Amino acid sequence: MSLGAWLELLASGVITGSIYALVALGLNLQYGLMRILNIAHGEFLMLGAFVTWVAATQLGWSPLAMIPLSFALTFVLGLVIHRLWFKRLTDTSPNVDVFEARALMVCFGLMFLVQNFASWVWGGELRGYDYLTEPVPIPGMGGAQFAANKLLVLGLSLVFAAALIVLLRTTLYGKGVRALMQSPTGAQLVGIDTERLHPLMFGIGLGLSGVAGCLLSMTYTIAPAMGEPYTVTSLIVITLGGFGSMGGALAGGLLLGVVEAVGMHFTSPSLKSLLSYGIFIAVLLLRPNGLFHRKR
Amino acid sequence: MRHEERDTRPGLTRRRVTQGLAASAAVLAAPAVLRAQSGPVRIGYSMARTGPWTGGAQVSQEPNYILWAEQVNAAGGLNVKGTKRPVELISSDDRSEVETVVRSYEKLMGSDKVDLILPPWGSNANFAVAPLANRFGYPFIAPTALSKRLIEMKLPYFFLMLQQPQPMMNALVEMLKGSGAKSAAVIYVDDLFGLENYAALKVAVGGSGISLVEEKSYPGGVKDLSPVLRSIKDKNPDAFIALSYPPDTILASRQSKEIGFNPKFFYASVGTAFPLYKQVMGPSAEGVLGMGSWNRKSSKMAEAYFDAHVKKFNKEPDRWASGATWASLEILQSAVAKVGLDRKAIRDHVATNTHDTVIGKIKFNGSENVATPGSVSQWQKGEFEVVWPKSMATGSLVPKPAWA
Repeated sequence: MSLGAWLELLASGVITGSIYALVALGLNLQYGLMRILNIAHGEFLMLGAFVTWVAATQLGWSPLAMIPLSFALTFVLGLVIHRLWFKRLTDTSPNVDVFEARALMVCFGLMFLVQNFASWVWGGELRGYDYLTEPVPIPGMGGAQFAANKLLVLGLSLVFAAALIVLLRTTLYGKGVRALMQSPTGAQLVGIDTERLHPLMFGIGLGLSGVAGCLLSMTYTIAPAMGEPYTVTSLIVITLGGFGSMGGALAGGLLLGVVEAVGMHFTSPSLKSLLSYGIFIAVLLLRPNGLFHRKR
Repeated sequence: MRHEERDTRPGLTRRRVTQGLAASAAVLAAPAVLRAQSGPVRIGYSMARTGPWTGGAQVSQEPNYILWAEQVNAAGGLNVKGTKRPVELISSDDRSEVETVVRSYEKLMGSDKVDLILPPWGSNANFAVAPLANRFGYPFIAPTALSKRLIEMKLPYFFLMLQQPQPMMNALVEMLKGSGAKSAAVIYVDDLFGLENYAALKVAVGGSGISLVEEKSYPGGVKDLSPVLRSIKDKNPDAFIALSYPPDTILASRQSKEIGFNPKFFYASVGTAFPLYKQVMGPSAEGVLGMGSWNRKSSKMAEAYFDAHVKKFNKEPDRWASGATWASLEILQSAVAKVGLDRKAIRDHVATNTHDTVIGKIKFNGSENVATPGSVSQWQKGEFEVVWPKSMATGSLVPKPAWA
């Protein structure tokens, strides 16, 4: 294989990986901070994709304009969902393990609820629209070219992922969140307001999922059942990167995308699941705290 | 009343409640039995409204059931050997699960005892229900099943509308050969549909002078085919053949455009015939080949059906299985008009006659529709034209332009 072909293959892996990372970051935020293993995470991606599709095909809006809107919509939805269920669960659960188990059950219910809501409103048909599908040649990569929408997806995913990481690193809110992840009790003792931080972070997590959905609708066909595979993939990604580690989720997502692309090229796409789950199991066995975990 | 005298305990007892419930159930059931004689013709089916099959089921199949029932009822009802009776559809969501399909049909035929059943969507579901329908003696004219093994099961009550893998692949290869193609690359989805079509393609290319330069399988629901497409592009085949389902059909098309892979012949299977294809591909759809067998121009009947579909659902039917679904309903309707609701007689009528339908003449040999030859269609200026064989053609093959 020539150098150009290699670069092209790696780049296509990075593009897929950037979406994995964006979805996984949101899930990681929810799980790492609040112990909510949100099985319904991918469903909000699907919602983001559908509202973008509606706006693009029926209202004639630019899908780009839908990026902030789908974030806002899923963010607000996150606040409402947190208020309705997870706040109550937090108040009534005796300890965090019981909360985790109960939250998981609630998320399962939520998954069916959201998916069926979408089927009911939009029907189960496959949908899609044509947006920025023109190939753009990349200079200096031996004639490699990518669809403009893919490059947009890559760019925006990385921007959003980086924005979240910077937010958590540099702001006081971020400090609070990191403190909560390290020691929930200690954080509360020094006056960090979980009542405010939890809904906010849950909302941001779903918001990122909504943005990912909006971006995905530009490149793929969409259907109410599209979310689940992304939930599963993000579980693999956060296992790779380590629970609660944002940098880890970003790196893990990109890595998984590249491994899948290279693996598919040299074997067969039919072996893709084998590849991802193989990595998943290997990491669980050999590095259960994630690939990038440093011993303290 | 001795019973009344003996039972002196006051108030409700469990036994009394049970008796009461049983009695009221009997009362409620009685009119149902009466209704079955003169009331609506009850026709049951399960259909994917959620889950992965939904895309196909809600484009090619269920809208036609609904439209048909509406048209029949608007015309005064279904002609049952001279008597017009309204049609009542009894349907449920099978959530794209084979077990749910089987349970639903067991209930429809075993305990609901509906008059007729209509098939579910897809080869897998039909594979599971066909033996059951056969055991219960319900004629079963499947519009969206494509499998040689279904035919080999030799079920007397089971009929398949679509052309099967071998005729479809033979038609494709004949067309490619006739147009001077020397090499082809194939990708196929690794399930019953993909494997059977792939096997049929291998048989068809044997001795045709066309060599297969790449053969790769992929899983359903795949999200990225570009690594495979890039390696195919490097081999520069004359033809690209995807034995694919709708999401992958669109994925393969978009990604081929993305990497600039533009073979002389670009063929993808299920989903190219969907109106969705031209929506998402826009002008890039031009010249793309796929599985299709009819369009609005095929006949006067086709035109009437097409327009009614658009009017009712505000969307076009697909140019392959939608027509087959409509034709299957036409066959059932004319059989019921001739022989009534005697299911054995319907089966015999379907099996032995040649039927005039929206997609032309249909005749069964065993379970297989042998009257419709394998066909290939091509997107040309917003219409999916049948370009092969000549006897069915609505247009002639044009060279594929670059992706627009």
